[in-house]
Amino acid sequence: MKIIKSLLAGASLALVASISQAATSGNTLATVDPEADRSAMQSYFQKRFPQVALSDYVNGIYALDAPSREQWQSIEEFPPYEFDIEEGEALFNKTFANGKSYADCFANGGIGIRQNFPRWDASQGKVVTLELAINQCRKANGEEALGWKKGKIAQISAYMAFTSRDNVFDVQIPNDKAKAAYLDGKQSFYARRGQLNMSCANCHIAGAYIKIRADLPGPTLGHVTHFPVFRSKWGELGTLQRRYGGCQKNVRGVPQKTQGEKFRNLEFFQTYMSNGLVVNGPGARK
Amino acid sequence: MFSFHEDKNEEKLMRKSIIKHALLGLVLVGASSMTLAAASADQIAKGKALYLNKKKGNCIACHMIPDADAKLPGNQGPPLVAMKARFPDPKVLRAQIWDPTVKSPSTIMPPFGRHWILSEDEIDDIVAYLYQY
Amino acid sequence: MKKTISLVAALMMVSGVVAAHPFNEAFNEQRAMYGKGHSFTWNGQTYITDHPEEIAAAVVANAANATALLAAAKDQYTQVLAVDFGWTLTKNLLKSAGKALETGEFRKSMDLSAQAQYHSRMGIAQYHQSQAEWIMAVPE
Repeated sequence: MKIIKSLLAGASLALVASISQAATSGNTLATVDPEADRSAMQSYFQKRFPQVALSDYVNGIYALDAPSREQWQSIEEFPPYEFDIEEGEALFNKTFANGKSYADCFANGGIGIRQNFPRWDASQGKVVTLELAINQCRKANGEEALGWKKGKIAQISAYMAFTSRDNVFDVQIPNDKAKAAYLDGKQSFYARRGQLNMSCANCHIAGAYIKIRADLPGPTLGHVTHFPVFRSKWGELGTLQRRYGGCQKNVRGVPQKTQGEKFRNLEFFQTYMSNGLVVNGPGARK
Repeated sequence: MFSFHEDKNEEKLMRKSIIKHALLGLVLVGASSMTLAAASADQIAKGKALYLNKKKGNCIACHMIPDADAKLPGNQGPPLVAMKARFPDPKVLRAQIWDPTVKSPSTIMPPFGRHWILSEDEIDDIVAYLYQY
Repeated sequence: MKKTISLVAALMMVSGVVAAHPFNEAFNEQRAMYGKGHSFTWNGQTYITDHPEEIAAAVVANAANATALLAAAKDQYTQVLAVDFGWTLTKNLLKSAGKALETGEFRKSMDLSAQAQYHSRMGIAQYHQSQAEWIMAVPE
């Protein structure tokens, strides 16, 4: 009976993780307040894990879980993505057939700018992710677009993140159209989907650092800072939106379109939540 | 034991035999309870398999249960212990599996019945298994 | 009995996507406790806890009926994809239903179509429910 009692105590402990106060506004363009959302998200995690420094969230689950942090640190001693950064650099510097290169498409020659993506592009009237900007640069210079999820695009993105390490994320929402895109991304993050009826938030807010079998879902705060990632499960590098699609399939939902409006808006929202944290991509993950 | 998931054919057969063997009523009580127990053992085994199967119930992903074969459980949900005490009415437990969002709107647990992740029979099997703990 | 059945199907189809409809709530509550084939009373009427898709499939198993059910299931799947809330297993259910139809396993085909159609209807319901309820999951 004592065992049963202590097990039940454990159960009630798990319930502490669920959200004690839920929002009642912020679901319309008139009421949504990105800065209030961001500070609510941060204080949620800081209340739950008071011993973890805000700046450490860029390390994802390894900020919260000491045993897996140790394993991860030993992986990072010989980073599995090192080759990809080198390849990415070579690809980045290679000139297009017309003599131009990626450097001509980006501010500051494309160096140290990861923290400004995804960005609201007023002339296109949409959110532009770093990967989308890479492919738009290629097309503008008469080159074929790259595949979205892995390979060359992930390597170029990895190199660009690498040159931006320690720069502080600063995603801007300059107008109401951008705010509408943010709101759409916010809704996607909290909306349940798939046959398993789960939202991003189910695992990465309330469910963060609680075991699903032997796996520990990471906190959404700092989620995007280390992408693209070399994921052991993939055995290769992949982009954030590759992971989005994988997550949606995991909950048995037909995945949304990579670099489609929904995923770009989701990335916009998710990255905004991590404003103030530093770029530390590319990263290594299980 | 679980009147709500008794097999219909079995019930029919039993009724037939009640008429046939009206005089042997006492013997029959023993026999029928044995039949039910056998059905239950089968259900329990099926329920256990569903509990562990990643593509089926996969309850073990989130719930600990004191069964030696249920290794490395997750803990997103409460441990499944003292089930009869916590759910004296098996229908309530069944409904909780069928759609936990009715009672806990923010739960991460999938609605196994409402989303037809498991069949109705499979849900009965899992209830039978859980009631062992 | 037949009257009851068509009534329940009509009611659920009309209420369709609105998950919080009182009849759907009552139906789900009963189905959750008793499974299929259970009778219950709602607003003075007797109903049975079978999904409208199951009721539609509970007809004689033949090529014509299996073909019609598969077409209805495919149509519902197109609709759920249109709102971007499709489920991954539905496509395979439809494929298996099609194969079973080809090989003359009409009963099997009809049951698979019923499940596929139910999945898609629930995906559409999930879309609407998500729209209405997502804000409740936001920490404040």
